[in-house]
Amino acid sequence: MTDRLRRLGRRIAVAARRVLRVAKWESARASGGVDRKTLAAGVALLLVAGGVVGVGVATGVAGLDVDRDVYRVGVDPGSPYADAIEAEPSLRAVSAGRASLGDTADAVVVTVVRPGSEDGGAIDPGDVESVVVRATDTQKGEAAAASVREAVEAHNERLMRAEPNRTAAFPVTVTLRYVGRTTGFDEGTTLGGDGDQTSDSDGSTGGGSDGGDGGSDGEGGSDGDGSTTDGVGSVGGSDGSDGDGGFAVPSIGGAAFGADTVGSPGSITPPFPFTSLLLAFVFLVPMNFLIQAYGSSILDERTNRRGEPLLVTPLSPAEIVAGKTLPYAAAAAVVTTLIALAVGGGALSVIAVAPVAATFLGATFVGAMFARSFKELTFVTVGVSVLLTTYAFVPAIFTNVTPVALVSPLTLVVFDLQGEAVSAGEVLFSTAPMAVGAALLFGLGLGVYREEDMFSQKPVTRKFLDALAVRLSPVPTGGAPLDRRRLRALGGVAFLTACTIPFVFVAELLAVAVLFALPVTVSIPVLLVTIAFIEEVAKSVGLYAGFERGVFERLDGVAAGDGDGTLRVALAVGLASGTGFFLAEKATAVVQAVGLTDLFLGRAAFGDVAGLSGLPPLALAALFFAPLALHAVTTGLASVGASRGRTAYALALTLATLGHAAYNAGVVSLG
Amino acid sequence: MDSRLTIAGRELAGLRAEKTILLAIGIQLFIAMFSSFLVVGLVSMYDPGALDGAQVEVAAAGDAVDDLERAASEVPGASVTAYPDADAARGAFERNAADAVVVTTRRESGRVSAVVTAPDATVETTVIVVQLRELLRTYELNERDARAPFLEDSPLPLPERSDTSPYFTFTYTVLIPLLVFLPVFISGSLVVDSITEEIDQGTMELLRVAPVTLAEIVDGKAAAAIGIAPGQALIWLLLLEANGTSVANVGPILALMTALTTLVVAVAVGISAVAPDRRAAQLLYSVAVLVLFGGATAMAGGPANAVARLAIDSADAATGVLVVAYAVIAGAAYLGVRRVVAAEGLGR
Repeated sequence: MTDRLRRLGRRIAVAARRVLRVAKWESARASGGVDRKTLAAGVALLLVAGGVVGVGVATGVAGLDVDRDVYRVGVDPGSPYADAIEAEPSLRAVSAGRASLGDTADAVVVTVVRPGSEDGGAIDPGDVESVVVRATDTQKGEAAAASVREAVEAHNERLMRAEPNRTAAFPVTVTLRYVGRTTGFDEGTTLGGDGDQTSDSDGSTGGGSDGGDGGSDGEGGSDGDGSTTDGVGSVGGSDGSDGDGGFAVPSIGGAAFGADTVGSPGSITPPFPFTSLLLAFVFLVPMNFLIQAYGSSILDERTNRRGEPLLVTPLSPAEIVAGKTLPYAAAAAVVTTLIALAVGGGALSVIAVAPVAATFLGATFVGAMFARSFKELTFVTVGVSVLLTTYAFVPAIFTNVTPVALVSPLTLVVFDLQGEAVSAGEVLFSTAPMAVGAALLFGLGLGVYREEDMFSQKPVTRKFLDALAVRLSPVPTGGAPLDRRRLRALGGVAFLTACTIPFVFVAELLAVAVLFALPVTVSIPVLLVTIAFIEEVAKSVGLYAGFERGVFERLDGVAAGDGDGTLRVALAVGLASGTGFFLAEKATAVVQAVGLTDLFLGRAAFGDVAGLSGLPPLALAALFFAPLALHAVTTGLASVGASRGRTAYALALTLATLGHAAYNAGVVSLG
Repeated sequence: MDSRLTIAGRELAGLRAEKTILLAIGIQLFIAMFSSFLVVGLVSMYDPGALDGAQVEVAAAGDAVDDLERAASEVPGASVTAYPDADAARGAFERNAADAVVVTTRRESGRVSAVVTAPDATVETTVIVVQLRELLRTYELNERDARAPFLEDSPLPLPERSDTSPYFTFTYTVLIPLLVFLPVFISGSLVVDSITEEIDQGTMELLRVAPVTLAEIVDGKAAAAIGIAPGQALIWLLLLEANGTSVANVGPILALMTALTTLVVAVAVGISAVAPDRRAAQLLYSVAVLVLFGGATAMAGGPANAVARLAIDSADAATGVLVVAYAVIAGAAYLGVRRVVAAEGLGR
């Protein structure tokens, strides 16, 4: 026993040494590729641009107003509304005399003056009795009219801020508290209001006007910077840069969305973790540069057979890949830690970002193993960046809204930056699926880290099938039904299918997220079919790879009399794959119970665990095993199709998908 | 001219064989779908105006309950119930009979102080807070009106509310510029890959043996990359049109984006001539494009804003001048880079 342990320890030590040697070589090569001159040039470029933009924003010349001047509004230059329109970046004032509605103007401001006060020249604001905005009868006209209203509101707000009589200008002060119903009342975050509470709540937000307005002081909020700081752009400029404090949840006061009269009702902002979200995004940015270098390095091995010498050494492919990946993983860890230190995140942020970084690297590794050229790699890298960034970032936006947000580890970062406690279960729920996904991606890529795939120009789809088929072994046709070799082969099939579960969930979540925008009557049926399709493909694509690569015997390859045996093999692997999927799905039922079923669409997607209570045990058992029967039948069908070639596979897959969708529809309507 | 077309054709054939252009369009489609989802999702989750009939029940107590009730009658999504004192109102909140509590006190200074209690960390908090803000702002306006004689400048009367969806402005100012400029970046990246790959594989040497000049090789590669960009953008604009979003000035938009593609391709050629290793070249290219584009967008009249104004049909003469200026700059940049590369050679 101890002998065996010692031998194992020695083997691990050897492997670790080998991995480290490859890692050292890789990092030496990587730093040679990007020479100092390039690095210096890049840094210089960034500094110059940062300086120019910074100065521009500071002086008010530049602003990230993508909507500058998109609506044209006709207004009389003498009208008091002209100032309001001028101050709003998205509106451009057109002289009312020359403006014709629909042609040169989208909306026209018409003021009604009190009788007797007209003197031909400028109109005094006090004499305006009412105002009408006439807009074109288009969506653009409506949007322009809404912008005019907002502009007038902002203008009034500015007027009032300059008003010496504070009491009349802001007659209402608000103190906002958030209280949990079970915990009772406590002093929560406050919003200006009573003089004693202002200093700590808004001093940190840095948004201009914090002289507390406890009653009658004339100074409060009169620095009048409202003209330059509105909209989201300014938040990034003013808060993203200093990044200390002010992450209290729910975020109140001047920090978000430029409402900056602390204490008045206008300054209430809903609990939107804007700053934390922005900072969480910062963690993702370096990943995009990292995977470019990593992808290049892997593909470099494959061009001009450069990786061949390494392959013939006693190093195993896994050791080579681990060694080549280690420097990049280390770089990701260092950068993440630095960012965490800079933005005030703790160890939790680093732990949460780790699986995201691993998935970035894993997906890029697979992409670089499959790509045929640098050009193809570029698209793969862009695809990986876009998909993973959205997958990590979008759920985090809903951090305080729904528990589903926890599917992204970035949500943990947002919590960490807000200083909220997170339970160990939540951390596990959030990070484990992505970590498993990253490991599986590396496993997939390793399957083709061999000579015949690395240096050949095969299309991506064929390499993908190769990578899957590597993990399968032939199913013997003769012999006893419970032959050990056969069981092992079928177990391999089941395991391969079970491994697709994380990707199936990600695909289904993306489908839910994308279809979320559609009306429910459309989205539910489309969703049911999409999900059935995703699951059917996941269950049968490995089998198709097995038949296509000749791991399982195909009908056309054998004598006519043996067709029966092929059919039996097809059905057997179909059953095994369906069972593997069923078991993996049930294992994740625990995870689903944590929170995914809260969402209505989520229920349609992952529905079969909800609403089971109150049924007799027999029906419960039937319901529990019904998915098993379903998966076995549909996958058997697809498997038989796969054994007869591509067209038959496509046909069988369609049938299986339809059957599966019909079953899902039944479950949803029952539930 | 002939050899340039041959090289451009070879580039396009390579793209077709790898079907990468399909992947590119797929990525763009995904971005478009997701940004739409983001906006619609955000709007429905964070803007209760979009959630029809979201009704917030407010328990009110204190001195100014009547005024609050009057304000609530003007706000569609909020209703106020009066309670005799603060404790009763808080009791209602604890019993889930009310979503929020507002306790108002008239101060000696003449102000009204409102202490608002909202539930913590529930899904509805955002909706409740937004409705509360609407209610309190209406209340503030009423109070301000009553005190108007004490103000130096009276506030301007507000125009009527109009129904509009925030999605409209987003479509024109973010989505369309995003979709129009994505092909620009992809084209530049393609040129970097194409040149560094030829150098890396040694096929550039073969190409140099053929009777073509270096300038012609660069021209051919650039022509292929620039040629595929407007087509992609046009697909997007047509798709949006089919979806009910009318896009004006398609011609000028495509001219503007072709000019920018030329500029970015010039940058890409220059970078891959200086840094022939793909890793370094791609890194520099990303940084350069980020800088170029971030800087241009931050300036007044940046390309994103120009596209937005053209698409929404609010362009004026200045926008036309801008398009011409971009075209001139791009042409000059490309010719300059081409000249330098022809003289200095690739991959020193």
